Formats: sequence, structure tokens, C-alpha cells
Amino acid sequence: MTHFHKLGVAAALAMVVSALPDAVFAATPAEKAAMPGMAGMAKKVRTELASSAAFDADGRLLAVAKQGEHLMLYRSDDQGASWSAPVIVNAQPEAISGDGENRPKIVFAQDGGVLVSWTKPLGKPNTGEARLARSDNGGASFAPPITVHRDRQEITHRFEAITVGGDGRVYIAWIDKRDLESAKAAQKPYRGAAIYAAVSEDGGRSFKPEVKVADHSCECCRITATVDTDGAPLFLWRHVFEPNERDHALAKLKTDGTPASFQRATFDSWKIDGCPHHGPSLAVASDGTRHAVWFNQKDGDGRVFYGRLTANGVDGQRFVGGEKAAHADLVVAERRVAIAWKEFNGETTQLHAEVSEDGGVSFKPRVLAATGGASDQARAIKRGNDLFVFWRTEREGMRVFELR
Amino acid sequence: MRHFCLLLLLVLAGMKAAAAEPFLVLDRQAARSLVEVKLHSAPTIIALWSSDCSHCKSNLKLFARMATTNPRLRLITIAVEPFSEELAAPLDHLGVPGARYAYGAESPDALAHALDPKWRGELPRTLLFDGNGGKEAVSGVMDEHGVNRYLRITAKP
Repeated sequence: MTHFHKLGVAAALAMVVSALPDAVFAATPAEKAAMPGMAGMAKKVRTELASSAAFDADGRLLAVAKQGEHLMLYRSDDQGASWSAPVIVNAQPEAISGDGENRPKIVFAQDGGVLVSWTKPLGKPNTGEARLARSDNGGASFAPPITVHRDRQEITHRFEAITVGGDGRVYIAWIDKRDLESAKAAQKPYRGAAIYAAVSEDGGRSFKPEVKVADHSCECCRITATVDTDGAPLFLWRHVFEPNERDHALAKLKTDGTPASFQRATFDSWKIDGCPHHGPSLAVASDGTRHAVWFNQKDGDGRVFYGRLTANGVDGQRFVGGEKAAHADLVVAERRVAIAWKEFNGETTQLHAEVSEDGGVSFKPRVLAATGGASDQARAIKRGNDLFVFWRTEREGMRVFELR
Repeated sequence: MRHFCLLLLLVLAGMKAAAAEPFLVLDRQAARSLVEVKLHSAPTIIALWSSDCSHCKSNLKLFARMATTNPRLRLITIAVEPFSEELAAPLDHLGVPGARYAYGAESPDALAHALDPKWRGELPRTLLFDGNGGKEAVSGVMDEHGVNRYLRITAKP
């Protein structure tokens, strides 16, 4: 082929390629209108803000957040006004789930050990292992993390939740798809996923073999964990009640992790074959009142609700915030109850709170902050009877708001 | 030479049809334009999905089949999470055609609001345009009958 011919082929090729987008894949007017706003082809922009914070027995605030393939522990001696240089939780880098309903958690063992848990995603989509690392020196350094379950299939063991019982046992529960996978292999139907739990009797250094708490949980909403007045662990999660009602279930666990009780906790009857991506929160007052916040669609509208969970249903159920309220969290200290959530107002994401001084009978609303960028879910935390909201935002970083 | 060019055209057209669409970054302006009902002159499905959503796969599979067998039907997918390279695999695996979008660096809350102010984050979420001024939003897994019903809502008044 001569030089001329080469040029001719190149020109023909260029004409063909330039003609293709319109000739082969004509853009709709909506797509064309969308084009001017494009920055072009996507580049990796993922920012994972998911984090947790808790006050230790000495009143220091510890926060755990993801940085690449490490979890970092930050300490504040001034309620979040300033933070220490971080400590690496996992010395060996590994994948860590840190967005949406996933987040690392931090709790304290009875002997003062600092426990950080997270989900480590595996190779296949939606798979993972529940991981835990323990510090014996107040968070100055951590032992290598362990996987808390014996099952090592490359399947879902994700969205772990952790709490420390009154007797010092560490309870961790997660969404587990081993029963779903078995059912699939046997070509049998199986609703949702399952909840499994593992118990540690040595402060989180090791865990006994996991046990099943319940079949038919929802697949990707965060679980909430707390402790009842008798010291037994309580777990609340979004369940899939027959045929496809994604209401919440509450289980109280025995010391071996099996359920002592299991009950339907909410009754909004949201029927959806889908993923709400919106988990609940639960806290128990010293008088035994179980305060909860959750999200459900009821009568066609998706709303955040507050209510007190009882053996006979929900007491005092009401809306929290406006139509765009989302991802509420809740904390209780004696008669004080605080709810925190975020709410997009059309321009910015606002951080809202409500505080009750009378055990949840009446609440006073407050707007704490706003951000124009991405933000994590709000975390309601306490130090004794002092209540706070921890909020990490892309632009402003980690902030703490005291609810006086 | 003529034959060579014709062959090239056919080969390239085939490559283009088979190649996955590159992801585009969704910003607020693009989101508002994509859901502008006046700009949809043909039946269009905008499928919101995420890598975490196991139920989204059955919708994407259905929509891919419908869009492949019905040349009038447009399919646009939007991953409602920040772009990462891993987002292409599930769409490629299911053979999902059409423009692919993923969230950019803007606030996810603002992008979600621009796409669908009534949407509360549940997935799958599907926006259906009948191409004749009709628009519906549906949460959850859909079947073909449901998609057709929504797409024809105002197509034949």
C-alpha cells in the first residue's frame, strides 16, 4: 500500500469512527442535554466517609475511619475540637467496606480493651468477612485482626454489629448468606439472607463458632446492637417477613449467641423486592424502655420513624424530621433521649437533632450543621449523661456537637 | 480500496456495537437533563442501581433483554455511587446496552435529589418515560408486563 493509500484509509477510518456515535448509537435529546455538564469519562472519585466514634471510660473520644486499606484510630481529649495523629488499626493492608450502610465500629471490652470491627470485602461482589481487632493499651496499638466466623466461603458475611454484654461477653452479629447459597444450590427458594452471631468470652481475642440467630433478614441494611437492662445483647435489623414485607425484627441473644427471643418490632408493612439501604437504631433506657428509630415506606411515603418497641407493638410511633430525613441514629442516657439524622433541603445536607429530657415523651428539635458535599450518616453518642452527635463530612472532616 | 473501506466500516460498526459504553460522570446538571420528561421522545428506561444491590441485577437483566429486542426502547443506567472501575463488570456480564453513568464528586444527596426528589435511596429504582410526556418512578424488582404497562401509560391516550 502506498503512502497515499495509507492516508486514504486513515481518513476513511476517521470518518467512519466519527460517524459512528450518531449512526450507530444516536443520543436522545435528554442524553445530549446532559452532555454539556459532563466532565468527560469517569475517573475514580470514590470517597468513603463511613466512620464511628465512642467515648472511652476516661472520657476520651475515639473515632475510627477508613483510609485506603487501613482503618485509622483518632483520639480527641477535647470532645472533637482537635484530634491526635492517627494510629493504624490493621498493620497489614486489606480491603475495608466503608461507604453507605457499611462502617467500622468501635466498642470497649469490660477490661478496657478497644475493639474495632469492620467488613472486609472479598473478590466476588457482595461478599465479605466480619473482622475484629483489639487493643490492650487504650488504642495505642492493635493486635492483628481476626475473622470472627469459621465459615470461610466467599459469600456474604457483612454489615456486622458489635456490643459488649453486661457479663463482659462480646457479641457480634452479621448478615450471612450461607443458607441462601445452600438453597440456591438445591434450587430451593429462600427469602432474603440470615443473621448469624458469634460470642467471645475473652474480650474479643477469640470467638466461639457462630450460630444462627434468624433466617430471612434483609440483605444490605445496617444492623443495630445494644444491651438490655439485664445485660443481654439485643440486635435489631431489617427483616423480610412473608411475603416481602421489609419490617424490623428484634432478637435478644443467650450467652451462646442463639436467640432467647425473636419478635417483629415494626409493623409498617413495606412490601418491596428491593434494597432499602436504610438500617435502624435502638437504645434501651435504664427503665427498660426500648427507643428506636427506623426508616420505612408507609402509605406510599418513605419516612424516618421514632417509636418505643414493646412486646405488644410500637408505642408512640411518629415521623422524625421532614420528607427527606434519612439515616437516623439514637442514644439514650437515663431520661435523656437524642435522635440525630441528616436531611437534604434541596441545596445542602443538614444535620438535625431532637433531644428529649423526659424519656421520649416530648422532644425539642435543633439544626446542628450543614454541608454542601458528601457526608456520612450521623452517629449519636454519649459520655455519661452528656449526649453528642458525631458527623464526618467530606469538606469539614470529623465534627462533634454536644446536645446541651 | 472500496471493498477494504466497506470491510473496515462493518468491522468497526461491529466493534462499536459490541464494545461497552464508557462511564460518564453524572453531575447535577446532567442529572436534571436526563430526567427532563420533555426531552424523551422515545420510550426510555433510566435504571438506578448500585454494586451493593442484589435485586438490581434482575431488573438490569430484564431491561437489557427488552432494549436489545426493541430498537425503539432506550436504556440508560446510572450507578448511584461514585465511579470505580469495578462498576463495569456487572453491566458487561449482563450485556446491558446504553449510556452508563456513575456519580461524580458532587454530593450524593444533591445528585439523588436532582434525579428524583421522591426517591429515598431504595434500589432498584426505575424511571420510565413513555416518550409521549408520561413519566413514572418505580421502586423494586419489575417484570416485563409492568415495564410495558408503564411505558404505554400515555403513549396511546
